[in-house]
Amino acid sequence: MVNLLWLQSGCCGGSTISFLNADQPDILTALEMLGARFVWHPDLSPVMGEEVLEIFDRFKSEKERLDVLMVEGAIYHGPNGTGKYFIFHDRPFKDWILDLAKVAHYTMAIGTCSSFGGIPAASNNPMEATGLQFLHEKKGGLLGPNYMSRSGLPVINIAGCPAHPDWIVETLIALISGKLDSSGLDKYQRPKVFYSKLAHHACPRNEYYEFKASAEEYSQQGCLFENLGCKATQCESDCNERLWLGRTGSCTRGGFPCISCTSPKFPDGFVPFFETEKIGDIPTTLPLDVPKAWYVGISGLAKLACPKRLLVNAVSFKRVDVE
Amino acid sequence: MKKTIKISPFNRVEGDLEIKVGLEDGKVTEAYASGVMFRGFERLLKGRDPMDALVFTCRICGICSASHSTACSNALRVAFKAKMPPNAYLARNIILATEVLLNHLTHFYLFFAVDLVNKKYLGSGAHRELARRFAPFEGSSYSKFIRARTNLLGVLGLFAGKWPNTLALQPGGTTRPVNLSEIIRAKGILVEFQNFLEHDLLGSEIERWLENKNLKDIDFWMGEDGHENSDLGLFIRSAPRFGLDKIGRGPGKFLSCGGYELADGTTWLKSGYFDGEFKSFNEGKITEDIKYSWLKGYEKGRHPFEGVTEPDVDKPGAYSWAKSPRYNGNVVEVGPLARMINDRDPLVLNLVSDIGPSVYTRVLARLHEEIRLLKQLNIWLEEIDPSQPFYIKPEKPKEAEGKGLIEAARGVLGHWIIIEKDKIKNYQVITPTTWNVSPRDSHGNPGAVEEALIGTSVEDEKNPVEIAHIIRSYDPCLFCTVHALKMNKPITTFELAVQGIIKREYS
Repeated sequence: MVNLLWLQSGCCGGSTISFLNADQPDILTALEMLGARFVWHPDLSPVMGEEVLEIFDRFKSEKERLDVLMVEGAIYHGPNGTGKYFIFHDRPFKDWILDLAKVAHYTMAIGTCSSFGGIPAASNNPMEATGLQFLHEKKGGLLGPNYMSRSGLPVINIAGCPAHPDWIVETLIALISGKLDSSGLDKYQRPKVFYSKLAHHACPRNEYYEFKASAEEYSQQGCLFENLGCKATQCESDCNERLWLGRTGSCTRGGFPCISCTSPKFPDGFVPFFETEKIGDIPTTLPLDVPKAWYVGISGLAKLACPKRLLVNAVSFKRVDVE
Repeated sequence: MKKTIKISPFNRVEGDLEIKVGLEDGKVTEAYASGVMFRGFERLLKGRDPMDALVFTCRICGICSASHSTACSNALRVAFKAKMPPNAYLARNIILATEVLLNHLTHFYLFFAVDLVNKKYLGSGAHRELARRFAPFEGSSYSKFIRARTNLLGVLGLFAGKWPNTLALQPGGTTRPVNLSEIIRAKGILVEFQNFLEHDLLGSEIERWLENKNLKDIDFWMGEDGHENSDLGLFIRSAPRFGLDKIGRGPGKFLSCGGYELADGTTWLKSGYFDGEFKSFNEGKITEDIKYSWLKGYEKGRHPFEGVTEPDVDKPGAYSWAKSPRYNGNVVEVGPLARMINDRDPLVLNLVSDIGPSVYTRVLARLHEEIRLLKQLNIWLEEIDPSQPFYIKPEKPKEAEGKGLIEAARGVLGHWIIIEKDKIKNYQVITPTTWNVSPRDSHGNPGAVEEALIGTSVEDEKNPVEIAHIIRSYDPCLFCTVHALKMNKPITTFELAVQGIIKREYS
């Protein structure tokens, strides 16, 4: 039996809910495939109180093997490094995580908060929040830059606010079956298989993007990049290929901009969220690897070549037939 | 004999809760429920662009993120003086209602019913059946619900793109117009979900259940067509045998700000305040105290527009990160029971008058609301006119204030925003669980859940499942709350007048 332990630190529970949203496979099937059980999960396990501490003790003393430690939520170091913003059974929660990470065979950060700090580390970071092994793009975090779990792998970051259930489930299965090693991780320790794509890929608005036929306000069908703040050309994820919620949606399919929630720079690296900053007519948030001069040239030509069908539909909330 | 027991962590709620109760001869005489984590969203938002609140506040809570989006976009709508087209009201209600449908059954199957499998009930005769259905990860109903839940998510995918954390709800409406094809797909998903409800939860058609107007009707329904063998039937059979109709009374005052805003300015579920009499709801009567919270900045109660959220981690006497919201100075219960009472739902009013508020009443009111809501959701879907818009672009003012009060799954949720020089000057949030699990206020009055715990008999202090039932009956979401209370005098009488006629005493 594979032993899983899920902990919630400074979080909203969103990645737990997202994990429950898993559909191919659903969580019960996933656990069956893994031969795994949650020795404890704060939302799902019947066990509470002292019995939870007994579980922690069994892991710490290695009477029981902790196969995968899964941490959701940012690590609170505040106020003034004391960790008192989150006391768990009379101790700062960060200290419990430190103890358990020492004995974990694999350690996974579930969601952008435990990966990079996320929302709690926004603004002037009043909570003194970090991720497990990063604060934004800087390596370190709670466990330090050199931390390795017993398997020899660093923390595996399943970024996303929330994380897509497939990213969690498939990573677990790949780890347990020995199919994910350090070569499968990017420089932010995210599995490349999910994060080497862009959220832009397979966006249904791509034809509008190609011809720079842009929506001018929300609820319109055009591309959200030029005016409405969409960061999907910068966001490393496969959201629009994989789709969410029983494969029915994604952010851009929902008509609102991608805010690049899988990035270590989320959220403050992607403001303003709902409009596009420009110098002249040129967005400052160009796709990462597209040279600016080429972008300007191509988009000028694309606009000239844009079919009327797209021009009209880009600013309409419903499909308009153009002869 | 006096004794204190501590349950830390108290889990299978949303968030981090620590419970301490003082027992005297097996009875709870003191209760301490502490929200042990500070999150400080109000501080994160200060000085930011007002629209950033849409990104941040839905991330207060992963389980009810669309509720926060609804409240936040309402506060911005008031501040921006924005208008929404009729379709937007429908689409927003569909998103919110779907979240509530998911929340209520997630609570029942994943959080609440698991306690019915507790070892205390091994000799009850029903234990084998309860375990077969409700055991976590394995029970037959538990597993079926996990899959039914996943199917229902498609409605959110179609209307909100992503969940948790959609940005589809905006001050001027929704970003996602739906066409006829998508409406049909959503209807199909709801038919499947209704099939699950009728086949597994109810064992009867929802229309048949909705004919039940009082306890006698429920008794009759139970004896009919094997209804007693459904998941709800099993709960109705077990709860009184386990004494769940006699524990967890709470303050007996119920608040609702009105659920599901309609384009004509009314709400689908009526607002109100019930303390034995039905009274109208007035937002101006809401205040928050911080005397027992690890927070500083003011004395006595303040309206959220004047609210401050400054941590003071070593404050003497404090025991929770939660504030203490009060309505006209009163401790109140919020949630599905409060909503159904204030909406004057005949079945729930009858339950409250015949049984009183209790763990049983609260859970039944939640499931009853689930059934009413599913029916209404179909009506809203039907009313959408896909040829008409879903959004009107608003203008953003430089200076403004706005409030958004809505009914989330767990009760009254309020967001208050003050905008100065294009930036957020103050943002305050009161979540439903803060109402239910607040610490004492400056008058020493305990929060609703602590009050509900006092006087409860705990059979086995090593397995205080009675306490678990009471706390979980409120479906707490602790990504907000917690505290302590002492009993000054034993609670021996509880009076509740429903529709001015019925008075009962409980000992």
